Amino acid sequence: MHLFRSHRNALLAALVAAIATAIAVPVQADPPKKGQPAEKTVIYPTGYLRSEDWLKVSTAPLARGELDRLVNGQLKKANVEPAPRTTDEQFVRRVWLDLTGRLPMPADVTEFLADKSPNKRARLIDTLLATEDFAKHWSLYWRDVITSKVADQRLNLLTRHFEKWLFEQINANRKWSAITRDLLTATGDVRYADADENGQAFFMVSRRGADAVTELAAETSRIFLGIQIQCAQCHDHPSDVWKRQQFHEFAAYFARSRERPIFEEKKLKGSRVVSLPFGEHAMPDKDNPGKKGRALQPKFIDGKGPRSKGFKGLTDLERRTALADAIVSKQNPWFAGAFVNRMWGELMGQAFYQPIDDLGPEKEAMMPEVLARVAGSFRGSDYDVKGLFRDLMTSETYQRQIRPGESPDEHLLFASRNLARLSANALWMSLVDVLGQLGQPPRGMGALGPFARFAGLEPLFKQEFGFDPSSKAEEVEGSVSQALLLMNNPTINQKIQARGSNLLARILSSYSQDDEAVRMVYLRALARRPTDRELARCREHIRTAGSRAEAFEDILWALINSTEFQTKR
Amino acid sequence: MTTQTLMHVQTNRDGVVSRRTFFRNVAAGAAGLGVLGWKDALTLHADELRRQGKACILLFMRGGPSQFETFDPKPGHANGGPTTAIDTAVPGIQIAEGWENVARQMRDIAIIRSLNNREGEHQRAVYQMHTGYIPAGGVRHPSIGSIVASEIAPRDFDLPHFVSIGGRFATHGSGFLGMAWAPFVVSNPNTMPSNVERPGGVTTTRMARRLGLMTDLERDFAEAGGAHAVEQHQHLYGSAANMVRSPRIRAFDLSQESSSTRDRYGRSGGGPGPGGFGGFGNSFGQGCLLARRLVEAGVTFVEVDLNGWDTHQNNFEQSKRLSEQADRGFAALVQDLRERGRLDRTLVIWMGEFGRTPRINGNNGRDHYPRAFSVALAGGGIRGGRVIGSTSAGGNDVTNRPVGVADLFCTFCRALDVNPRKENMTPIGRPIRIVDGGEAVRELFA
Repeated sequence: MHLFRSHRNALLAALVAAIATAIAVPVQADPPKKGQPAEKTVIYPTGYLRSEDWLKVSTAPLARGELDRLVNGQLKKANVEPAPRTTDEQFVRRVWLDLTGRLPMPADVTEFLADKSPNKRARLIDTLLATEDFAKHWSLYWRDVITSKVADQRLNLLTRHFEKWLFEQINANRKWSAITRDLLTATGDVRYADADENGQAFFMVSRRGADAVTELAAETSRIFLGIQIQCAQCHDHPSDVWKRQQFHEFAAYFARSRERPIFEEKKLKGSRVVSLPFGEHAMPDKDNPGKKGRALQPKFIDGKGPRSKGFKGLTDLERRTALADAIVSKQNPWFAGAFVNRMWGELMGQAFYQPIDDLGPEKEAMMPEVLARVAGSFRGSDYDVKGLFRDLMTSETYQRQIRPGESPDEHLLFASRNLARLSANALWMSLVDVLGQLGQPPRGMGALGPFARFAGLEPLFKQEFGFDPSSKAEEVEGSVSQALLLMNNPTINQKIQARGSNLLARILSSYSQDDEAVRMVYLRALARRPTDRELARCREHIRTAGSRAEAFEDILWALINSTEFQTKR
Repeated sequence: MTTQTLMHVQTNRDGVVSRRTFFRNVAAGAAGLGVLGWKDALTLHADELRRQGKACILLFMRGGPSQFETFDPKPGHANGGPTTAIDTAVPGIQIAEGWENVARQMRDIAIIRSLNNREGEHQRAVYQMHTGYIPAGGVRHPSIGSIVASEIAPRDFDLPHFVSIGGRFATHGSGFLGMAWAPFVVSNPNTMPSNVERPGGVTTTRMARRLGLMTDLERDFAEAGGAHAVEQHQHLYGSAANMVRSPRIRAFDLSQESSSTRDRYGRSGGGPGPGGFGGFGNSFGQGCLLARRLVEAGVTFVEVDLNGWDTHQNNFEQSKRLSEQADRGFAALVQDLRERGRLDRTLVIWMGEFGRTPRINGNNGRDHYPRAFSVALAGGGIRGGRVIGSTSAGGNDVTNRPVGVADLFCTFCRALDVNPRKENMTPIGRPIRIVDGGEAVRELFA
């Protein structure tokens, strides 16, 4: 397979050579043995993918072990030893957090550890894929993907509609192509008061104002194609193939779509997707922004478009349907590529293309052959989401331990999992799983109306810990405010106390042996047993603290505030 | 470098830790958790010590304010719209109506009317006006706030060096400089930041024990592959713990200011928004007052955001409403800093990501226009009462003394005694200059 392009113009070739030299850095694959420096040179297996490269790959389902053979072959060439397989304890927490955004309960952990059947990991994956928590977790994920780039706060009132709709689609394992099509061709109203209705229109009403058309185009391309064509909005893309005209032709698919507020009895009731009867998108004149440019025909990134003659007769819905057709077409490799790259990034902590939503043909990918093959099988499966999760997570590649690089930025070549912070939703759910309900749960449409969701600790917490899921793992940094919240928040600390029906009160009364109680606290908070050193340190703390209750409150506090609690290992 | 010199600094600088606090921090550091104080303080160089005390307040007008409705009015020209010009305390300098308070402070304020740039897209321009760089090449450039903090902030200070007022996503982060220089975000200046007080029943000693326990219990995880993350995490918790312990935390408490002072800065503005419902949710003026208090307490860089300047529709009404808040806050800040003897050492920057089109569009609005727009500066050695550069009669072009973004950033550096040619290293070892090219606008300092 020759995915590394051999014919590039001289300038690009020189550039690639320069990059290749720059990234051939010595790293230590193993800790050096005493007395002998174990320096190895890693040649990063990188390359580029163009349309034809993606399409010549097999679309057959991945054979058992095929994914691992592909990755391991590349690792061998790169002279990198893969990290050891996760222990069952490590695996069970990882897979729960990845699939459901929740912590396994102690019983889930011990049951899994006790299970001696050889295929228990695959069975656990299947079990969790079938839960509603899976659908809930991933609907929040996609909500965040879309809302992270929206400044418009009015949209906050409609996120619940979108979450609900997405939940139903994911829970029913609808194909990614069907979900995408529904989002892009949505019409009608989304009303604040009715969260069950038409959540699929969320994406179309997510942009308003003068730039709505170009922003929708940019986001459609970024989210569904992994192509950051918007850099070509004002000038030809500086580091990719896209021309300014191409961006605006793409935007022309949305030329007649508008968000309009629904006003009834002088009150704002929601948002409506409005189809204008006429109107075309024109590329503004660069030197004279006031001048009206030529009306552009809607065209996909491959340069093809519906009805080259008489495109002005295309209605809004015909345009958006044509766009959805082009996007989910089996002939468009970027659709599958973008999804696979994103999911792989979520599951491994690092993706082939980084950031995960930037797959342009001039962008360098790590192990492009592997991505192309997995994306091929995803196309072949007609974009079966749960099937993809199963393929990725049953691989040995997914099930490897974490092992840090020299710096947090280093690409680990999928030889190990990269440690990543929990999403705000997963961290919140983890806290609730350990401590129980924190404060009043946000109610639906109560006395506060649509604002009910913004009261209490949960929204504040999620705002504080939220980040754009399209960012690279190493770019998602903590903050002092986050540390302060987990350290000091009164609601959280109240639930840490060994009082009433709180977790610790129950554990301390059930386990009179301190070691047993410590094990239980560890199982609950970190879904694993303490190491010997940790147990010893806890014993010492219990011995020197004012009281047993106080000692265990400190231990639980320390675990909840730990790096491990806040990350996916 | 001896400890003696260090003590000298400790006691001389206004707002910096007293001897006693300093020793307490050192003791706490020794007790387990990484308090930066000791080792880093010892590595301070003499020339760095001299810089201490300079600070910067950035008033960022998010959305891109219209130069025609602020500092470059064009009354009488079709492009100027209905906005009239008013006289200022400096004869010959006129600014837009609605800026009466700032007009009275004009002796301390300099205007650059000839900013000339190319970025006309919000996200990219906001990035550029915070970092000096356009987003490209996979480098996460640090915000000017992080850069200035990393260059001139006292290392042993127990509040954050860089505070951003106006919501978590309002500012730009520390990029490759890392989270030690990341902004501490205050979303509502009217209340103390959340969670800065220890929970009930947890004494200082117990909190220290908890932190020590956590540090010890993280060892095995760090050794099992979590080292990088644990290191960053410990750093954050160190900063957070320092903040909780600091007596200076009251600097965040606006209730310690008199009602008349708070009124002077202006209390209006913002939307209602219940907690957590994004946005500013409160007044810009109070943010300016908080910025003054923080700078006096020793914080090096404070950004205060005022959102809403993206006036594609109803530019004149919207600009008027926003100018009212910006005018009061900006003017009160400059006046207050002067009266309290802090203006010479505090650079105040008023700017947005770009200007707005000379042509008024069909919705009575103005669109994005980076080609010719205005920035206002005060303090930090900037000579006020002058105007740099000019634009054509209709405001379409810079006709005199164009100033680029790099020039502007060099100007900030000069006012703050930062070397703009210094190279910082990215994590992959790529050197990045603080400012790439450009030259400080000398006329502002002469």
